[in-house]
Amino acid sequence: MRAGLLITLFMISLTSLCDTINQLFLKSAIDSLNFGGKFNFARIFKFIFRLLIKPRVWLSFVFSVISLCIWLLVLSRADLNFAFSADSMHYIFIALASRFILKERFSSLRWLGTGLIVVGIIFVSLN
Amino acid sequence: MFKKKVTLKILLLLVASDILETAIHFFFKKGALAQGEFSVVDLSSAIVFLKAVSSSPFLWAGLLTVVAVFVIWSTILSKIDLSVAVPIASFSYILVPVVSVICLHEQISILRWTGILFILTGVILVSLSSGERAEQKK
Repeated sequence: MRAGLLITLFMISLTSLCDTINQLFLKSAIDSLNFGGKFNFARIFKFIFRLLIKPRVWLSFVFSVISLCIWLLVLSRADLNFAFSADSMHYIFIALASRFILKERFSSLRWLGTGLIVVGIIFVSLN
Repeated sequence: MFKKKVTLKILLLLVASDILETAIHFFFKKGALAQGEFSVVDLSSAIVFLKAVSSSPFLWAGLLTVVAVFVIWSTILSKIDLSVAVPIASFSYILVPVVSVICLHEQISILRWTGILFILTGVILVSLSSGERAEQKK
């Protein structure tokens, strides 16, 4: 049972990791387009079109499909309430990636929140 | 530029996104459960499992709901700041376990509920901190 839990947690961390990579690619693609200013349908369509021709967006799509596949495997072996709560692990990965890859600055409130998520995931897994 | 006022319309959209978000996970879980006793031990059995799930209507209902949530969520974010929207939207951290208990007959211990509350508080703090950064920039 213990080993099963560890494998499930490992698979959940893989989906979270794929999700994080997917977000990073998407963020980098969107940032490279410099979309700002007024919103109107013509501009949004043009923006989406320019986004869709970026290979990074397709990479991000591939990662989200992988993430979904692993997620379905997780759901075949774990309770939904556990899997869903533990999936909040992507907050931890995204925090680490934004801090160390995107070099964003963090407030102490954000570290506190991320810490609480870590504690929460430990509690949820302790069953 | 940073919009904080939550109007009734936005609140309804947020509630809708909460409910639909929960529906996504319910559909995916149902899709996985529909395969019955299926033990995935290696890559080839995983592929067989995924092929079977991909023909489940629940999976496609889930994917359609993903698209719907994406549209609703984009609408919400065009009207209101992320740091305000996320705490209200993270109600699904409670809703998913509740649906798991009622519809999927799962059991949740007090310890797990405590963990869920910790996660919920953490998510709210993280999203509030994005508002804090925006305030500093201004």
